[in-house]
Amino acid sequence: MMPDLSGWLSYGSFFLVFAGAFAIIVLGLNLQWGFTGLFNVGVAGFVAIGAYTSALLTTPETAGRLGGLNWPVAVGMLAAMGVTGLVGLLVGTLALRLRQDYLAITTFGIAVTIQLVANNAKGLTGGPFGVQFIPKPMQAWLGTGLPWTLAYLLMTLLLLAVVYVALEKLVQSPWGRVLRAIREDEDAASSLGKRSFAVRLQSFVIGSMLMGLGGAVYAHFVGFIAPEDFLPILTFQLWAMLIVGGSGNNRGAIAGAFLVWGFWTAAGGLLRGLVSQADQARAAPLQVVLIGVLIALMLVMRPRGLMGEALAVAKSRT
Amino acid sequence: MLQIIADGLIIGSVVSLGAIGLSMTLSIVRFSNFSHGELLGWGAYLALMASTGLTALNAGLAAPIGPFSFGWGLLIALVVSAGLTALLALGLDTVLFKRLRKQGAITLVIASFGAALALRNLLLFWQGGVPRYYTQNLQIAIPLLPRSVWGGLRVTPDQLFVLTLTLVTVTGLHLFLSRSTLGRSMRATAINPGLARVTGIDPERVLRATWLIGGVLAAVAGVFAGITVQLRPTMGVDLLLPLFAAVILGGIGSIWGAVLGGLIVGLAESASVTVVGAEYRSAAAFAVLIAILMVRPTGLFGEKR
Amino acid sequence: MSAHPNSPALQIEALQAGYEPGLLIVRGASLTVQSNEIFAILGPNGAGKSSLVKAVAGLVPISGGRNLLAGRDITRTPAHQMVFQGLAFVPQTENVFVNLSVAENLELAAAVMKADRRERLDPVYAMFPDLHRQRKLPAGQLSGGQRQMLAVARALIARPSLLILDEPSAGLSPKLVDQVFAKLREVRDSGVTVLLVEQNVKAALALADRAAVLVEGRERIVATSAELLGDARIAELYLGRHTGRQASKETT
Repeated sequence: MMPDLSGWLSYGSFFLVFAGAFAIIVLGLNLQWGFTGLFNVGVAGFVAIGAYTSALLTTPETAGRLGGLNWPVAVGMLAAMGVTGLVGLLVGTLALRLRQDYLAITTFGIAVTIQLVANNAKGLTGGPFGVQFIPKPMQAWLGTGLPWTLAYLLMTLLLLAVVYVALEKLVQSPWGRVLRAIREDEDAASSLGKRSFAVRLQSFVIGSMLMGLGGAVYAHFVGFIAPEDFLPILTFQLWAMLIVGGSGNNRGAIAGAFLVWGFWTAAGGLLRGLVSQADQARAAPLQVVLIGVLIALMLVMRPRGLMGEALAVAKSRT
Repeated sequence: MLQIIADGLIIGSVVSLGAIGLSMTLSIVRFSNFSHGELLGWGAYLALMASTGLTALNAGLAAPIGPFSFGWGLLIALVVSAGLTALLALGLDTVLFKRLRKQGAITLVIASFGAALALRNLLLFWQGGVPRYYTQNLQIAIPLLPRSVWGGLRVTPDQLFVLTLTLVTVTGLHLFLSRSTLGRSMRATAINPGLARVTGIDPERVLRATWLIGGVLAAVAGVFAGITVQLRPTMGVDLLLPLFAAVILGGIGSIWGAVLGGLIVGLAESASVTVVGAEYRSAAAFAVLIAILMVRPTGLFGEKR
Repeated sequence: MSAHPNSPALQIEALQAGYEPGLLIVRGASLTVQSNEIFAILGPNGAGKSSLVKAVAGLVPISGGRNLLAGRDITRTPAHQMVFQGLAFVPQTENVFVNLSVAENLELAAAVMKADRRERLDPVYAMFPDLHRQRKLPAGQLSGGQRQMLAVARALIARPSLLILDEPSAGLSPKLVDQVFAKLREVRDSGVTVLLVEQNVKAALALADRAAVLVEGRERIVATSAELLGDARIAELYLGRHTGRQASKETT
């Protein structure tokens, strides 16, 4: 069995692009949670909005469905960020004043609703079949094979690097210092009043935009999306990545994304190897059980993750 | 119009029973348990297994009682399932939530999200994705009012059974919580846990009781959902948003609030079917949630925490 | 529950306690409270007075030393079992169940002790006739002074040998403070030892038989009230710490 180099490269690139897209999303989640203490349990919904927005704007015209404007991919991705940011603004304005677990329930409800709409509003989103033939950038020059995959990987990693650097700068800036002050001391936060709310809202919006961007990166790589790509399990995978890597730390967020995605694919591969052909479909849920158990173990044994701070935002002094 | 109300009350019964347990957990254990829905699902399926097993032992147990679609087998299975689900809830706490309590509410929520995924997928793995039913017996709806009166009203005996038993259960629970020492201790712990401790109330005992009662109620709610609709591995997560909406609408810690909240959510879902179609039912619960959060976040009967 | 004859009501020996293991608030405090006396713990803000009594009551983790209640070691006793040992604690804030009525507050305390309702409530109502009058009222609707009385009454349902109060005068007008403190004298006279933490030095020393001044987690002076009232060192300890900087935060 000679190792097929191009096959391995292709598989590896697929893995890394997915991980890279997830990393961008997790960086957004880290901004919302790790740096601002906002508990978003509807991440999958925001990712879906980004993916669908970019997909609908860049695909060629399709009968019976909105969109199909054939715009360039880059514009689509920007639009994805914009629309997701807008949704983040709406959600944030409504929900940021609420208690943390109310925010969780609200964002969860939003993700469920988005999934419902995606599944049922055929005229808007293509219904259960989703959106197909999503254009892949640079395809005119590079074709559809390994060179294109590698180029897309490069693009994804570049995007990730840009996002990382931008976030690090943001966090070190005066704006970031205000954010940290709010996080450390809730009393100071409430005395800042309006400014505190504005900063937290901005953080939520920026985080949402990154989630949308990640969704678009995913969509243009795979070429087709459907509502079942954005189920609650995705939210959980993303949170798992943040927990494993360690929240409050951008490098940790990226590391977590790659590690958990690695664990997920390895677990999938392992299960597929262990289980007979007939049982493959039935075994798929076990993959989820495994990751659920992984997260539970992680939380119990090493809540800081690999590089992060404690999940509790502000220590309460009794 | 009356039919919408009646159907809404049936849905509402299931949601109410689940919401009571969730509300108690939220007010005593103090975190939003995203795995509570799965207790309803597991409760329903455990009853299915027990019922099937009992019928295999004694076919007579499957014979329908009177006008109902189910036999004594299912009723016994309900009791068995209630016990098992209570243990499942307590077990989940012992294995997972208890160890994370020091880390705060957010960790517990994330853990509960993971537990929900694990439980749901275990169910999926075990039972497969095809909907199941407790019996194949068809139910004939009894016309209570002709169509000329407010659109008419038809209910099945099963639905009446569910409504009545929900009322009985809730009344019994209310009596327990207001009369027994354990019940009052639970209420005190929800209001002021530190004071409850110095008054002599054992917090661990209260926590255990909360999980057990929550499990029992969830099992009953799950079985009722299975009787009136069907069993699906995703029934837990499908009910999660309505459950949360009911709890928040009613006010955390209030039993009657959870009941009222459940009924209102049920009515909203039932009404939404005629307006936006059956696919968007879950969105109705979300709309209720948003509405109450914007108008009165503490809920209708929220107690001081 | 037999107390050793001649045992002090409470012995605190070199107690170390704090919410986090590395951050001690109580740093080796020792005190002895005799039976049937009223003992006050005074000291500047941040001295650890509240934490000390909370540690005794089982609410703050103890990392060193021990506490003896009438000769019995209660260092490891969990908070909810203290009432069964004879120790009742009245917190400073949120010390009544606001959603329950006065009667329900008291009945709950009795029920938890598995004691007869009438037997426990009647003597307490006799001592607090105002509460008896208002027994159907939700506790949240009581005035500040009455609420404090209810908090004390609830603790007395447990028939404790030792009653501990955390700043019972907090938030009360001088007249109400007098009323509450008069009630505490009654409590002591009925055979219960009273230990209280107080910020109001004057009123506390007028009430208490003996007192200790706690500074930075340890006792500095222990004496009778009469001795303390005339002592210049108290003034120095208070004023010296209060002007200018805060009590120094030594990192241990």
